[in-house]
Formats: sequence, structure tokens, C-alpha cells
Amino acid sequence: MIPYLTKEDFKVIGFNLCRIGNVLGFLLLVPIIVAVIYKEFDIVPHFIIASAVTFILCNVGIHFLQTDKKMELKHALCLAAVAWIFCMPLAAIPLWSTGTTGSYLDANFDAMSGFTTTGLSLAQGVDHLPYSINFYRHFLQFVGGIGIIVVSLMILSKSEISSVLAFKGEARDMGIRPNIVRTSRIILGIALTFMVLGAVLFSVVAISEGANVGTSVFDGVNYSMAAFSTGGFAPHSQSILFYHSTLYEIVALVMFLIGSFNFTFHYAVLSGKRREIFKNIEIKTVFITLTLSTLVIAGLLLYFNVYSSASILFRKAFFQAASAHTTTGFGTINSAQIAGLWPSAVLFLMSIIMILGACANSTGGGIKAIRVGIIIKSFFREIKKALSPSSAVVTEKYHHIEDTPLTDTIARGAMLIALGYVILFVFGTTVTVLCGYNASNSMYETGSAVGNVGLSSGITSPAMPAPLKITYIFLMWAGRLEIIAVLVLIGFVILALRKGVRRR
Amino acid sequence: MKKAFIFAAILLTLMAPLASSESGQALIENAGRFDGMPVTFRGEVIGVMTRGDFAWVNLLDNEGYAIGIWCPAENAKKISFIGDYSHVGDNVQVAGTFHMACTEHGGDLDIHADNFTIVAQGREVDKSPSLPLAALSIVLAAVAIFITFYLWRIRKEREKILPWPSY
Repeated sequence: MIPYLTKEDFKVIGFNLCRIGNVLGFLLLVPIIVAVIYKEFDIVPHFIIASAVTFILCNVGIHFLQTDKKMELKHALCLAAVAWIFCMPLAAIPLWSTGTTGSYLDANFDAMSGFTTTGLSLAQGVDHLPYSINFYRHFLQFVGGIGIIVVSLMILSKSEISSVLAFKGEARDMGIRPNIVRTSRIILGIALTFMVLGAVLFSVVAISEGANVGTSVFDGVNYSMAAFSTGGFAPHSQSILFYHSTLYEIVALVMFLIGSFNFTFHYAVLSGKRREIFKNIEIKTVFITLTLSTLVIAGLLLYFNVYSSASILFRKAFFQAASAHTTTGFGTINSAQIAGLWPSAVLFLMSIIMILGACANSTGGGIKAIRVGIIIKSFFREIKKALSPSSAVVTEKYHHIEDTPLTDTIARGAMLIALGYVILFVFGTTVTVLCGYNASNSMYETGSAVGNVGLSSGITSPAMPAPLKITYIFLMWAGRLEIIAVLVLIGFVILALRKGVRRR
Repeated sequence: MKKAFIFAAILLTLMAPLASSESGQALIENAGRFDGMPVTFRGEVIGVMTRGDFAWVNLLDNEGYAIGIWCPAENAKKISFIGDYSHVGDNVQVAGTFHMACTEHGGDLDIHADNFTIVAQGREVDKSPSLPLAALSIVLAAVAIFITFYLWRIRKEREKILPWPSY
């Protein structure tokens, strides 16, 4: 029987939401440092106002919702789902008030895109944005990438159980260590290490390619945050193409590939388990699907005679495919060019790999490689079963840090999540087509939103209809949460509407 | 004949900045049609990178489409302002060959400039803070600090009497 919702349940969720909001209040103050460095004193008040509003709302909330009830799984799932929605309008304040976006809805779109590490943007005049605002956009992705909830729990965690549960709700349930606070610190440590390394590499390459030191360092920090969090925001409208540099593309490629790997995998490899690189089901799946998709995309572009040189073909196809597969969203081809030049078959294939996504427990989105690997193995297991005598027992296992038997429950779970993504994809594509866009571009854009990628066929722009903006906000949010947490939330809302809220 | 040729050359040079240029959108969306063709493009400088004797100059047109221009480094040296938040970059017009996927530059969409003209020099933009906004931020910050500590104190005092208040 599904339990009734009590007033205390709402208080537990609300109380913890407000605590997360307080963390956001502090994070909103960080870009002020950049504003002061670049003497953008006109921007400072915007961040102070956003932070102050957040603190006022959240502390009033904490005061009235304070409860001693411990967090349970249902609270954790709801908290994970609602946290993004709760933080979005608060994080959108500086984007809207500084005129970065044309409307408050657009600011919410960009905030959600940032938190979910999607990278689709409605920002206007990216090349003329204040440095502090540009930093803030990338910082949102970095925070979103390592999980605002993980950060919040790491700082605020009082009880071990509460933390474990909220961690589970955010689809990061494969812990590295039994101690979840320690896990969060390890995740943050890994992320910061790679972020700093990436920033140094990007800066050095940019300087060696003739860019001035100031721009190189600033861009380096931003690109590093966006690449590691597989975000896709860029401080320039041309994205990675701004630098016209193969070396810069390689650094970006390495950074977002690293970011798309499982944190558990990072920890295992950094702890000396080098063999994991060759045995891990996720790494093998990503390697196979990325190689196949690159070859097919390159083959299709060759067939349709889009590019004349083989090296260009491979370079463009590989970067775009890797960016889509890792759910990053950096591009070396203008979105208008993709929509106008690339054949529909390529756009369709790109949509599929965007939904397949990166590794679980990483900064990436999509169905996730571990599930894709499990589904493929399940198919082979069923074929083996059909071919074997009825008395034979067919078993299958997969390796992810340790060997795990492939059970029907695991296979069903993976297929359910995959089905959820397919439903979201069909829903989003239908809405986009109904808004008047052509089918292939609609699939591409929806795949990008659902998979939290950020590549665009040009549909995402301030001129797109408001219902489509809201649909994409929903798709980015639901895609990031892997649907289940969203369904639990919807279930609670329906229950509350049907049966009301019990006092106890 | 010679005089007429010189006159025509001078006229063309003077008219270059006034010649109609292709929009970035038209060039990017119809890249296949313009590939290898001579084009004119005009936009604001948003990035300069010198590579030996040549340089990349990124130009942003009025509609928000940016294209990389490959030109001699001496042209890039003439640029005074690069566009960013507090600067309007120099407005430049280039005439050159458009490449949908330049074989020389790894398949990037670019223009190899033959003619590079600075149409208008950029400038600094005044970005002084708004005083009412600054005042509002100070007031709100004060309210936030007061509320945070006041409510925190009330909670602590109540916790001493009752374990958890119920509203």
C-alpha cells in the first residue's frame, strides 16, 4: 500500500530544500570575486540581490518548516526532483536582472540548462556578456555537474542515512565508499583536480595559439568547468571554434571524455586498479558505441558528399559525435550549418547517441552506458537462452568495479529507464513539431534537451515559442533526474490531490 | 587607359567599405553555395589570435553570427579594440574567399581575407553602477543578514525550551 502523505513529509522536504537553497545563496556570491577582478562594479549588486533574496526566503522557510523527522527514501527522491525546480528561479535572478536573457522565462531556461549541464542557451550577445556573468553560467554547470545536492549534503549533512538517501535520489546511487560524506568529498576532489588541470591546459594552449593571456586564462577556467561537467556552455558564440585550433579541440575532447566517465571508475583507476580501463562495461560500451557512431556519421557525410577531405570528415564527425555521446554540447560546427548542411540521417543518428549518453555516476546525462551495456548483454542472454536446451541454465555477468550477475531485475530496471527516455524523446519531438519545426531538427533538439547535451540545430533561440521553452525546461530536468524521481514526485502530487494531506 | 584604370582602382578601394556584404546567417546556412567564392563580410572584432605571419580575427555581424577571418598579421595589428562587455570592437569589413570547410584549417568555416578594412574604430563603453540598484542590494543584504541571525537565535532559544516547534 502506498503511504499517505503527512504534513511532516512536506516539512521534511521543504526544510531540506531551504537548506540547499542556503548553499545556493553562498554560491551566488562567488561570481562577485570575478566581478571585482574585472572591475564590473555595476554587476555586483545583481548577485548581492539574488543572494539576499535566496537567504531571506530560505531562512524564513527553515524557521517555519523545522522538523526533527528523519529523511526517508520518499523524501530523498522528492527532494532530488524538487531541488532543481526550487533553485532554478533563484539562480535565474542575476541572468534576468543583468539583461543576459530577454525575459525571466529565458533566464530560468538558462539556469536549468546550467544546473542540468545541458548547455542549450537563450543568452543574448554571449560575446559581450560581463565576465562575471559568463563565469556564473559556467560555474552553474560545474555545480550542477558535481551535483548541487552532493555539495549541499557534504556541507550540511547531519545524518549519514539522510545523505545516502538524497544521494540515491539524484541517480548517483553507486557509492565509492560506504561513508557518503567522504564519497562527496572524493567526488569534489576529483572534479576540482581535473578542473584545475583542464584550466591550465586550456590556458597554455590558447596562449600558444596566439590569444592574449587574460582571455586565455579566463576562457580556460570556463571551458574547463564546462568540459569536465559535460556542460557545453561557452564564453563565445562560436564555442570551441573561436580558437580555430586542433590542439584546443583535443584538450576539450580529453576533458569532456574524462568528465563523462563514472566517478567510481575514476576512483578505482586513481587507486591503482588500471585493469578496470579494459574490463569496465561502461568504458567498453562507450568505446564501441562512439567508434560505431563516428564511423557511421563519417560514412553518411561521405555518402552525401558534405566534406571533400577524409581528415576533415573524420575530425568533424568524431568531435561532434564525441560531444553528443558524452552529452557535452561543444561544437566545432555552427548550429545553423549543422541544420542546413548535415543530412537528416546524420541528425537522427546524432539524436540517438545524445540519448544513449555518458557513464552513470558521472557529470553526463542520457540513458547511461552501463544501462546500454546491460540491455545489450540481456539481448545476447535471451538469444543464448533460446538456442540452449531447455534444461540449461544460462547466466551472464557484467563487470563494473566488480563482477555482478546480470539478473532479470537489473535488466528490467535498465530497460525501464531507457523506455522513460524514449517516452520523453517522443513527447518532446511531438511538441517541437507541433510548434512548426521540421521533424529532423525537432528530433535533434529534443535529443539534446533530454540527453542534457546542448548541441542545437538552431531551434533553441530567444524567438522560440514560450510553451516550447517550458517543454525543454521540463525535458532537461526530467532527463537529468532519469525520470524515476520525477515519476515519484508526480505520484506524490496525485496522491495529495486525491487523498489530501494528513496532519500526522 | 592607364588613367582610367588607376581611377577605377582608387574608386574601388574607396568604395570597399560601402560595398554590400553578405550576412553571417546567409553565409553559414548556404555555406555549400558560397564555398570557394569571393565574399564580403562585415562585423565587429571579438577575438584576435596571431599565428606567425598570419592571424585569426573573429568577426561578429549585427545578427549575432560570428565567422573566423584568416588574414595577414599586419592587418590584425591595426585593430585597436576587441569587443567584450566594456568595449565595442573595431568594425571591420573583409573581402576574401569563403570556405565551407577549409582544407588548410582542419575543416573550419572561414574566410581568407584579401582585403581588410577597418570601417569604424571601437570604443570603451561606460558601465558605471546604478546607484538605486546598489542601494537596494545593500538594504536587501542587511535584511538577509538580520533575518538569518534573528531567526537562528529564536530557533536556538526555543530548542532550549521545546525540542522542535510546530507551526
